[in-house]
Amino acid sequence: MEKQLVVGIGDMKLGRQEGTIITYALGSCIGIALYDPMIKLGALVHIMLPERVNSDANIFKYADTGVRETLRKLYAYGAVKHRMTAKIAGGAKMFDMKGKSSAMGNIGERNAQMVKRVLMQEGIRIVKEDTGANYARTMSIDLASGMVLVKTFGRPELRM
Amino acid sequence: MAIERFEDMNAVALDVFREIGSIGVGNAATALSEVLGVKVKMKLPKVSIQGYDDAIASMGHPEDMVAAILVEMGGDIQGIMLYMLKLDFINAILARLVGKYIEDFSQIDELSASALEETGNIIISSYISAITKLAGLEVPLSVPSISVNMLGGILSVPMAMFGEISDKLMMIQGEFLIGDTQLEGDLLLLPDIKSLNFLLKKLGVANV
Repeated sequence: MEKQLVVGIGDMKLGRQEGTIITYALGSCIGIALYDPMIKLGALVHIMLPERVNSDANIFKYADTGVRETLRKLYAYGAVKHRMTAKIAGGAKMFDMKGKSSAMGNIGERNAQMVKRVLMQEGIRIVKEDTGANYARTMSIDLASGMVLVKTFGRPELRM
Repeated sequence: MAIERFEDMNAVALDVFREIGSIGVGNAATALSEVLGVKVKMKLPKVSIQGYDDAIASMGHPEDMVAAILVEMGGDIQGIMLYMLKLDFINAILARLVGKYIEDFSQIDELSASALEETGNIIISSYISAITKLAGLEVPLSVPSISVNMLGGILSVPMAMFGEISDKLMMIQGEFLIGDTQLEGDLLLLPDIKSLNFLLKKLGVANV
């Protein structure tokens, strides 16, 4: 079996040339797959919240610090900004809370907005996106090709 | 001393929450038994404080399908309650309430979903009402909402809710037994940290 790395919640893995990186059941969380096709270097980060508000040590939990730290690592391994692409998935609203104000808000949507804003600020193109709706997604990236697969329940697998 | 993180709780505090869970689940089991017209027993609740990935793993694979009913708590206990059902438990409810049998989660139609949602609502309301009576609290509940989806995605909701203050999830977990068969249905009470302190104080165990 080929090598597969699993990314937990608020976690990041990177790899090169071969194998896959996978993260399971993204709900309101977002998976960001970053890839440099020239050197076949890729990373998958699983963020949970938009912004780091305190000095939380777990930087991959947040869109702003998580994306930036992942990029920093990729550059250190030889990635070049203008070659890099991003594919993002997740940001669902798992429960539709009826009635007035919910303390939960739409965290998925806020996550998606922040991920896009940070990627734009960092000059990284988003080439594919599958966000929103009300279901969880399992996301994986194939390091040889940069192909991202999004699996959901009761829908066809999405290749992007 | 106030609790600042879930993992700060000592054995006495954990026992208090196990007892609270036990009172809640006991009442909920009685309510469920009335709805279904069968004997429903409860297992002794578990209190766990785990990291995100471990919390999910303790309940199954992140991609496992569940039907989850969520109710948001307000007032004296802020947080959420989740009632999570696997297929066998869903069928036990549907057989008695709508006379249906489903083979997989895609067959949950609107009627079945609202039967599950209502059952969840009754269970959660009776759980919370037992606790509020015990401690003299006001805990208004939201309208229930159902989601039929992957376990990991469902649990990301409480994780995101408390994510800024904690890297761990505290779950007070109750299980039911219907008739003589053990069916998998979990009732999770997920309070925020402020409410934990408030509850401990209210119950006279603040200085533990």
